[in-house]
Amino acid sequence: MATKQVRYEALVKALHADLYRYAYWLCHDKHVAEDLVQETFLRAWRALDSLKDEKAAKSWLITILRRENARRFERKRFDMSEYEEATITDVKATSNEQEIENHWLREKIAQMPEEYREPLVLQVIGGFSGEEIAKMLSLNKNTVMTRLFRARNQLKEAVDDEPKLRGLHNG
Amino acid sequence: MDDLHIRRSILADPNARDEAMTEAIKSDPAKQKFVNEIEALDEKIFSAMNVPVPEDLCNKLILRQTLASHQQQKSKTRVRLAMAASVAFVLGLTVNFMMFSSTYKNLGDYAIAHVDHEASHFSNTDKANVTLASLNQKMASFKGSFDSTFGTLIFADYCRFDGSKSLHLVFQGESSPVNVFIVPNDEEIEFNAKFSNDLLEGRSLNFNHSNVIVVGDKSEPLNQWQERINNNITWSI
Repeated sequence: MATKQVRYEALVKALHADLYRYAYWLCHDKHVAEDLVQETFLRAWRALDSLKDEKAAKSWLITILRRENARRFERKRFDMSEYEEATITDVKATSNEQEIENHWLREKIAQMPEEYREPLVLQVIGGFSGEEIAKMLSLNKNTVMTRLFRARNQLKEAVDDEPKLRGLHNG
Repeated sequence: MDDLHIRRSILADPNARDEAMTEAIKSDPAKQKFVNEIEALDEKIFSAMNVPVPEDLCNKLILRQTLASHQQQKSKTRVRLAMAASVAFVLGLTVNFMMFSSTYKNLGDYAIAHVDHEASHFSNTDKANVTLASLNQKMASFKGSFDSTFGTLIFADYCRFDGSKSLHLVFQGESSPVNVFIVPNDEEIEFNAKFSNDLLEGRSLNFNHSNVIVVGDKSEPLNQWQERINNNITWSI
């Protein structure tokens, strides 16, 4: 019992941040992301004995979280709204230049199609390889690599266009 | 290795590259510039994706789980307690049943067993050593008395008769002692007027509060004994 508790707490401490960020990029809502993470860890606790390899913990948790997220859509289909600007974290008020840049890029990431964004989040935040991502998303590796390429390419183009857009905004 | 391929793989995964790619990048400043650009872009992406995590999330997660498992444990304890109580209850019932219920189903079986068990203590040649007065004193607790002495009374004392207090009288018979039991009425034990085994025979009479059982050798005139008792005994209310 005690060892299970210790394992669980270690798991929470080590992985809750990455998991929360992944959830956030999945649903674009702070509160929903938090709920998803809580639900995920509660399920993880119940199934903790089935986790043999601690190295696989992160992908295991992400798999649980994806399932939870899918369940959320099953429950309330009407909630399946498109991305809304209002739900994106507003940090403008109290931020420096870096934060403004982040905020701008966040919007771009949020506007990206889900199928491009998800592998990118897994790669950048989760630190997973193309093969691991392919496994998690049940896709083939070439598809994942193509999507990663497109995702970055879109962001690159957006960043390359940025000064022009900024100028327009500022003007 | 062509330029497009390299660009594609760098965009797909800026950190993964094989030897051929590393060579190609090294030898071409344009490619190197591209790599630097993408690495810078990735830093930006990482920084943007690194949304702030609610500070208390970690504690919330641990607290929620602790509460949940505490709740679970509490209900487990309750279930265990209930099970232990049930087991104790059943055990109590069983012990109670075994200790205080009649081992024998009817008067006859018990009377014969009792006589068999004590047969060695009595001999038909024993002298009479119980007076009518002391007999009647003992009879008082059964609300009965004998009017006069009949036969030779060798022994008279209280006995456990299958869990209930009874009076055991032993008379001198023609060839072997004759036993008389005065037993309080017990609803649990079946009354039978006549019973016997290979050697012994018995008769029971049912009175208001008590049964009077006569047990003796098959050769003894039990009917006579029964009659004698019947004529002599008086029951008070």
